[in-house]
Amino acid sequence: MVTPAIPPPDIFVPEPGPSVSAALTDANVRVTSAFSGAQIVLYGAVFDPDTRPSDVVVIVRGPDQPIRIARKVRVAGLWVNSRPVVFEGAPGFYMAASSRPLTEIASFSTLRRLGAGIDHLPMNAPEEERIETRYGVRDVVVSRLGGDYLEWRRAVIRLKEKASLYATDHEGVRFVDRGLFRAEIDLPTSAPIGEYQTEIILFQDGEPVSRRARTITVEKAGLERWLFLFANEQPWLYGIVSVLIALTSGWLASVVFRRR
Amino acid sequence: MDIYLPIAEVSVNAGILVLLGAVVGFISGLFGIGGGFLMTPILLWMGIPPVVAVASEANHVAASSASSVISYSRKRQVDFRMGGVLAAGGAVGAIVGVEVFRWLRLLGQADLVVSLSYLIFLGLIGGLMLVESLGSVLRQRRGQPPAKRRDRRPVWLYGLPFKVRFPRSRLYISIIPPVILGVFVGILSAIMGVGGGFILVPAMVYILRMPAGVVVGTSLFQIIITTSLASILQAGRNQSVDIVLATLLLLGGVLGAQFGARASSRFRAEELRALLGLIVLIMGIQMGLVLFITPEDPFILVGAGK
Repeated sequence: MVTPAIPPPDIFVPEPGPSVSAALTDANVRVTSAFSGAQIVLYGAVFDPDTRPSDVVVIVRGPDQPIRIARKVRVAGLWVNSRPVVFEGAPGFYMAASSRPLTEIASFSTLRRLGAGIDHLPMNAPEEERIETRYGVRDVVVSRLGGDYLEWRRAVIRLKEKASLYATDHEGVRFVDRGLFRAEIDLPTSAPIGEYQTEIILFQDGEPVSRRARTITVEKAGLERWLFLFANEQPWLYGIVSVLIALTSGWLASVVFRRR
Repeated sequence: MDIYLPIAEVSVNAGILVLLGAVVGFISGLFGIGGGFLMTPILLWMGIPPVVAVASEANHVAASSASSVISYSRKRQVDFRMGGVLAAGGAVGAIVGVEVFRWLRLLGQADLVVSLSYLIFLGLIGGLMLVESLGSVLRQRRGQPPAKRRDRRPVWLYGLPFKVRFPRSRLYISIIPPVILGVFVGILSAIMGVGGGFILVPAMVYILRMPAGVVVGTSLFQIIITTSLASILQAGRNQSVDIVLATLLLLGGVLGAQFGARASSRFRAEELRALLGLIVLIMGIQMGLVLFITPEDPFILVGAGK
């Protein structure tokens, strides 16, 4: 009996046909007290025996984070917040980088299917929805936001982009050499803690032909981690300790100054 | 040096925070107030999330008040019994206030209530203080005798039951007004991230008719108790106290408070009150302005529900 030759896992064997491969300079971001954002570089290569024109799309999706958004409305001459709308299923960080504008790379339906691009993020506000029977059709999902839904959704994206948490970069994937590309992932200070799913998709003729997934982990480390865990796991003790620090330092200052 | 705050989850300049703490601490020692009404808005403008700013500031106020109350106590300028009664009310107020704040956050109305409270309370009290103290400064300049203080104490203060003797304040009054005052200030301290000295001090002078000498010390004493409790409650209920932020602020704060307390003897009381009134008024208007200006973006993210 002949055993099939299994290649060792650390040697890359190109699949038959076009394929894509990628690596991150830093798959583990440690949030310490010196943290002021991070830049991760993604390197990748396209292997294609036929050298057909290739497009690469890199999508980074941070951990899901419900978004609460309110609209400023004028009540009796004062600008106040409306009741907030909660959007679920939206990531806390999202970046879509590509070698060309996404709309030129693939069709709307393909992008929608892959969830590629901010316009295709599945984001909804379930609390605002109800199921109704309309025009005799049962189980129709109706949103309280009605036609404004798109406006609310655009506002979420606009505000997140302003905070550098969402980004679309049509030239974010740059081919540095034949088949060799790189993309930069900029994490702002406010980037949420958790696992970031990075997907690298190779498109040819508008169709995804190869995909690779990588994971970036953003975690608090060192003193930051310890304090964060302390504050969340023993909140009452944490509160008492912080007050004791405050009162002791106040007392110390007055004692020191009295001696002078 | 930029430092990442573990609870606020933002990166800020540590040196600026210590310096700010010192400046606000100086003002706090100078006027005998906690200084929260100045620091909380500054923290908000620096991009600290409101929940964290309010909770951590309570901690900072406790520290700078502790730093200055000891010197008042040495001069026998603290009425501990009155402070205790106020603080008992303050404790109830802080518990109510933390829950109210939690509820307001869920409704997305925390920002509105914070801005409105600043506008109303700071605007009103700052304006009154400014008018009153400018009046007496002007009278002094013209060589007129100071306006006669109405010494007739209001009847309702004496008609109420549960009367208690407050020897240090030379008062024999019902504990109901100070308890209610304490509850009110406790609620404000949890919602606005302030100690409430700017309300307590005038209220003690004009409503409780306490002698001016013990007012500031007693107010600081009650503020320590209320803000300490508010801080523990915010940490326990909302996990929103940032110990790194609070420590940076109080490093400068406790030192600034000592220098401020020394500098206060160089100014006249009326001039100090006029200056404080002006600062309070400006802060109130500044915080309230957001309610009147048409926002750049009609939408606002109101923070992920923790």
